[in-house]
Amino acid sequence: MFDRNYKEKSIESVLFSVSALTVIILFLICLFLFRDGLLLFKATSLLDFLTGKFWYPTSVNRQFGLLPLFFGSLLVTAGAILFAVPLGIASAIYISEIAHPKVADFLKPFIEILAGIPSVVFGFFGLVILVPFVRTTFNLPTGQTALTGSIMLGIMALPTIITISEDAISSVPSTLKQGSLALGATRWQTIYKVIIPAALSGISAAVMLGMGRAIGETMTVMMVTGNTAIIPSFPGGILDPVRTMTATIALEMGEVPQGSAHFHALFAVGSVLFIITFLINLLADSIKKRYRFKVD
Amino acid sequence: MTEAVQNVAQPQIEVENLNLWYGEKQALKDISMHIPKNSVTALIGPSGCGKSTFIRCLNRMNDLIKNCRIEGKISIEGKDIYGTGVDVVDLRKQVGMVFQKPNPFPMSIYDNIAYGPRIHGVTKKGLDGVVEGALRSAAIWDETSDRLKSPALSLSGGQQQRLCIARTLAVKPEIILFDEPCSALDPISTSRIEELIMNLKKDYTIVIVTHNMQQAARISDHTGFFLMGELIEFGQTRQIFQNPKEQSTEDYITGRFG
Repeated sequence: MFDRNYKEKSIESVLFSVSALTVIILFLICLFLFRDGLLLFKATSLLDFLTGKFWYPTSVNRQFGLLPLFFGSLLVTAGAILFAVPLGIASAIYISEIAHPKVADFLKPFIEILAGIPSVVFGFFGLVILVPFVRTTFNLPTGQTALTGSIMLGIMALPTIITISEDAISSVPSTLKQGSLALGATRWQTIYKVIIPAALSGISAAVMLGMGRAIGETMTVMMVTGNTAIIPSFPGGILDPVRTMTATIALEMGEVPQGSAHFHALFAVGSVLFIITFLINLLADSIKKRYRFKVD
Repeated sequence: MTEAVQNVAQPQIEVENLNLWYGEKQALKDISMHIPKNSVTALIGPSGCGKSTFIRCLNRMNDLIKNCRIEGKISIEGKDIYGTGVDVVDLRKQVGMVFQKPNPFPMSIYDNIAYGPRIHGVTKKGLDGVVEGALRSAAIWDETSDRLKSPALSLSGGQQQRLCIARTLAVKPEIILFDEPCSALDPISTSRIEELIMNLKKDYTIVIVTHNMQQAARISDHTGFFLMGELIEFGQTRQIFQNPKEQSTEDYITGRFG
């Protein structure tokens, strides 16, 4: 009896340590990211960093202004969301409410495969197919634009938006659907007047998480957006090259001397990125929890 | 069970030789029944006997179930509801349904009631009157008139069920199907719903599925006893409960199984 108890306890503690490891790793990443990021403020002030309009990390009058990179990320992400949200929600509605179960079972694995494609492969596709297409369609000097990045990121965010929205829509109790149909509503009226409103919290969470996915994506945007660190104009800037926060870190990290102000500036950009994605995830999570549909 | 068919005046619902299969399994066997207008008809029987399946044929809710196959004829006011050219939307406007578990939509009390009228084209002007009328008919106006904008899910279970009845009334059906409407409710809420059903009989034809034999005896004019997909006996409620013709009806009513 004592032996069995002992065994139970030791298994429990092993499993606990493994799950605690995740928390510890996250904590350590935060610690090192912020520690090196904060050292930037020896060289420049927080205000100059957050409101600076120029990112000239290597010129004589070096400037570490976040805004060009921040707006680059914002523009590309916003474009991606505008592109991905209608498509994603429409697909989710189709799969969960309209498609024959056999069709839905056929479609779902493809969506999962889309989620599993490495981002560099998306980048290749974008570079070879989409970049020339955007250039010739809009008659631009280069096809490497924010729009190109938006479309690619939109495609990459689709699986997240589709699967989570579909989950939310399918978890609306079928009694609500039946109640609506029994009142003489058509299937479409039932979908847009009862099912979608009831699933809205889950759908908003899906959009938030898709946004988190888009804003943190690096390789693909780096390959298709042209990487010009200038504050984009709005909305015409969608057809100009931009540079995102992620691409900046990936491009420059290999070439900075360790411990330099530039090195710390990249960590500071990383910290900002971390905070943004953390907040987005937190928001998505709280929306999901707060408005989760009560099924008894 | 053709001998179970009652010759009653003005049958509103006529069911002739209804058979229903879920895939290979036959769930209803040769059901024939005439349901008169402005009466309460109760359907009783043990779980899985087909009474809920039967009631769901009357507003074609079984259409939602894949592999469900139906033979036979159901006419409402002389019109075959499975005939060609029948619009299911119109049928369900005519034949309302209240479900086992209260299922108010996650919106305000007002919007719940207004849902049906809105989709059927009642304009904003007429809506307030329709909502009030439906809530009054379902005997829940006094409890909700001062909070029409609050969420329907904030009501108690019994209130939610009366709200669902009001929601059904707002569409102005002729027939209301109740699928065990009190099974999730406490005795006080149950008695209020029963009272309501008896009042509604004046204006509507009511078919109610119930597990509760006392309930059937209390509120219905006619009772049908289902067993394993067959309609064993159908007749005046008093006759069924006091003087059943079939042995299995008597066994069920006296509680020997069920």
